Amino acid sequence: MIQIEGLSFCFRGSPQYALYDLNLRVEAGAFVVITGPSGCGKSTLALAIGGYLFRQFDGEATGNVSVAGMDVRNSPIYDVAEVVGLVQQNPEAQFCTLTVRDEVAFGLENRCLPRAEIRERMAWALSIAGAEHLSSRSLASLSGGEKQKVAIAAMMAAKPQVLIFDEPTSNLDPTATAEIFEVIEHIQAKAGITVLVIEHKVDYLRRFQPRLVEMEEGRIVRDGPMPPPGNKEEAPRSPQAVTSSPPLVRVENLHAGYNGHPVLSDLSLEIQPGEFVSVMGDNGSGKTTLLHCLLGLRPPEKGRVEMLGHDTRQTPVSELARQVGFVFQNPDHQIFADSVWAEATFAARNLGTLDKTTEGRVTDLLIRCGLGDRLDDHPYRLSYGQKRRLNLVSVLSYRPRLILLDELLIGQDSAHATFLLDLLWEHVLEGGTVLMVNHAPRITRRYASRLVFFNSGQIVVDAPTGSAIAQLRALGKDAYVA
Amino acid sequence: MSPERITYHPGDSFLHRLHPLTKGAWLIFGTVAVFVVRNPWAVLAVVALLLAGFPLAGVRLGRVRGTRLFASTALLLGLLQVLFIREGAVLVEIGPLVITAGGVEAAFYVAGRFLSVVLLSYLFVLTTEPNDLAYGLMRAGLPYRYGFALITALRLVPIFEQEGQIVYNAQLARGVRYDVRSPRRFLTLARQFVLPLLVSALGKVDALAVSMEGRCFGKYPARTFLRQTQATWLDGVAMGLLVLGVVAVGYWSLEIGGS
Repeated sequence: MIQIEGLSFCFRGSPQYALYDLNLRVEAGAFVVITGPSGCGKSTLALAIGGYLFRQFDGEATGNVSVAGMDVRNSPIYDVAEVVGLVQQNPEAQFCTLTVRDEVAFGLENRCLPRAEIRERMAWALSIAGAEHLSSRSLASLSGGEKQKVAIAAMMAAKPQVLIFDEPTSNLDPTATAEIFEVIEHIQAKAGITVLVIEHKVDYLRRFQPRLVEMEEGRIVRDGPMPPPGNKEEAPRSPQAVTSSPPLVRVENLHAGYNGHPVLSDLSLEIQPGEFVSVMGDNGSGKTTLLHCLLGLRPPEKGRVEMLGHDTRQTPVSELARQVGFVFQNPDHQIFADSVWAEATFAARNLGTLDKTTEGRVTDLLIRCGLGDRLDDHPYRLSYGQKRRLNLVSVLSYRPRLILLDELLIGQDSAHATFLLDLLWEHVLEGGTVLMVNHAPRITRRYASRLVFFNSGQIVVDAPTGSAIAQLRALGKDAYVA
Repeated sequence: MSPERITYHPGDSFLHRLHPLTKGAWLIFGTVAVFVVRNPWAVLAVVALLLAGFPLAGVRLGRVRGTRLFASTALLLGLLQVLFIREGAVLVEIGPLVITAGGVEAAFYVAGRFLSVVLLSYLFVLTTEPNDLAYGLMRAGLPYRYGFALITALRLVPIFEQEGQIVYNAQLARGVRYDVRSPRRFLTLARQFVLPLLVSALGKVDALAVSMEGRCFGKYPARTFLRQTQATWLDGVAMGLLVLGVVAVGYWSLEIGGS
C-alpha cells in the first residue's frame, strides 16, 4: 500500500535533514506504530505520505513516495487525499467548521457529493469513530477526547485506504487516550484500512500487536513486531517534605470557575516545603484552574488561597512570581525574548535578581540542556523539545521556592521527559517544591512523593504516591495506574 | 456577575427562528430608515420598538456587555446637541445656557439614530447563530471560499482571545509588569505579547491548510451543502412587512422632500 524509497527532505533554512534516505514498505491492512524521540522526523514522514510536505512546505526533496500505486510527489493533493487521511495532533487546529455535523460533512460537501450520500457516509463515519451521540453538538462544547473522535470521523467519512494519526492523544488524559486507541483499533479491524499511528505512548498499543517502526534523526533504526514489555520501572525516589515548617500553600474551601461555570468547588489543600506533588485527573477536572488560583492569576470566587503566607487576592502576581515559577502547557505561549540567553534570563531580569551567580547557573543549565551553543539563536528556531527545556531553564534560573508545571511532558519522549524531571528533582533536593500536573503514571510513581487526583473540580484522592495509586485502582481509574 | 458577551444567545424566540438573511435585510433597512425618516418621534418609536425586542428575544439587555457604554454615549451625544445647537424657539435660557427647540430635536435625532443602529446590531448578533449566517450567505450565492473565511474567523477569534489571556498570564508569571508607562516600554510589551500569538497563529494556519486540502477544499468551483437553512412562513411575514416598510419610508421621505 505504501512504498517509500530513499526519501530525504530538508526544510529550507534548516542545517540538517528532517528525513534522510528513508525506506519503508507497508502492506495493505497493516497496523503500524511509528515512534522515536521528539524531532526525529515522524510528523514529517506523515506529511510526506499525505503529499503535503512537497506542496505546502519549502524544502529540498529526493526519493520516491508511492501510495496505492500513486506517485505522491507528482500527483495533485486532491487525488492523494482520496486515498490518505491524516488526523493531526491537535483536533482544534484542524477543524474547519463550528459543529460536529458540518465538520464531518465538510470533506464530502467539497467533493460535491449529493446530500443523501453525505448523510449516509456521515452516519457511518460517526458510528465507526464512536461519536454518533455527538452529532448534534457544537465543536466548542466537546471535550478533548470527543474532539479527537470527531476529527477521526471527519477523515473516515472520505473512506480513505490509509489513515495516519499524528500523536492523536498527546493532549488527552489517560482515560480519553485509552478510548481513542480503542477507536483506532476498531477502525482498523472493521474498515480493514491501513493504519499508521505516530505515538510516544506505545505501551497503550501493545495489546493490538502492531508493527513497530522506530525513527531517529530522520531515519528508520528499527522495524519489526512490537517487543515484549521490559521491566523498565525504576525505583521510586522519595523526597522528604519539611513537615515542621508552615505550609507553602494553604487552600481553604476554594471555589473558582470561568464565565459563571464552576470548575473548582470547596477545595482544600496544603503543600509543605520539599514536596514533589503530582496532580492528575481527567481533562477539565480543574487541575489547571488550581494552578492559576495558586499564582493569583484567577481570583477565588469563594474561599481563600494563601501562598507563602500571602493572600493571593491581595498580593500582585508579579510579587508572588518572585517565589513561584509557572511553566505553562504550550512552549510557544511563554517565549518572549529574542535570543536563547535573553529568554533564559528573562524572568530573573524582570524580577531584578540577575547577578553573576544567576548568570553562572543559567549558563550551566543551558549547557546541560544542549543549548550552550545556541545562546544567540532566536528561541523560535529551536525544536519543540529544546523550547520545552528552555521554558524550564527560564523558571529554574531564579530558583523560585515553588514551581508549578502544567503538562510539561506533552509531546516529550521518555528520554527528554526524564531529563526534565531530573532537573526538577535537583530543585527539590536543593530545598525547592514542585507541583506538577501530568498524565504520566510511571513518572508520578518514580518522582512524586504525593499524588493529588481530581474529579469534577474536587480532590478525590490525596495521599503519598504508593497508597494513592492503590486508592485509584480501587476507584476503577485503571488508566491512571498503568 | 460578569456581563454577558456580545455574542449569539441561544433561544427559540421568533427572532431566533427568522432566517439570518431576513434579519440581515431588516438590519440594513432599519439602519437606512432611521436616517431617512425626518421625524424625531418616529425615530424614538423605532428605539422603543427595538427595546421591546430584547425581552421578546429572551435577552436581558442590561446584562449584555457594552450596554452602559452605548447608553451613556447616546446621552452624551444628545447633550452636546442640546448645549451647542441654537436653532428655533428658545425653550430655556439661564445665563450662558440656552436650550432651543432645534437643539432638542437634533438631540432626539442623533441619540435616537445612534441607539437604533446599536440596538438593531445587538438584536441581530444576539439572535443569529453566526454559522447559520455564513451558510445562509453561501446558499444565497456568496462564493464558498469567502463563506468559510468567515467561519474560520468565527472559530479562531475565541481561540486567539483565550491564547491572548494565556500569554498575558505567562508574562505575569515571568515577572512582567504592565504598570510601566513609557512609549518604549509599551512597544516592548506589545512585541512580547504579539510575537507568541503570531507564532501560534502561523502554526494553526499550517495545520488548517493541511486539514482543508486533505478534505478537498477548493477542488471544485462549487460545492454541495448538507445544511438546509429553510425560510418559513415567519420569514414570509417579516419580508412582507419589510416591503411595506420600504414603501412607507420611501413615500414619507419623498412626501417630506417634495413638500
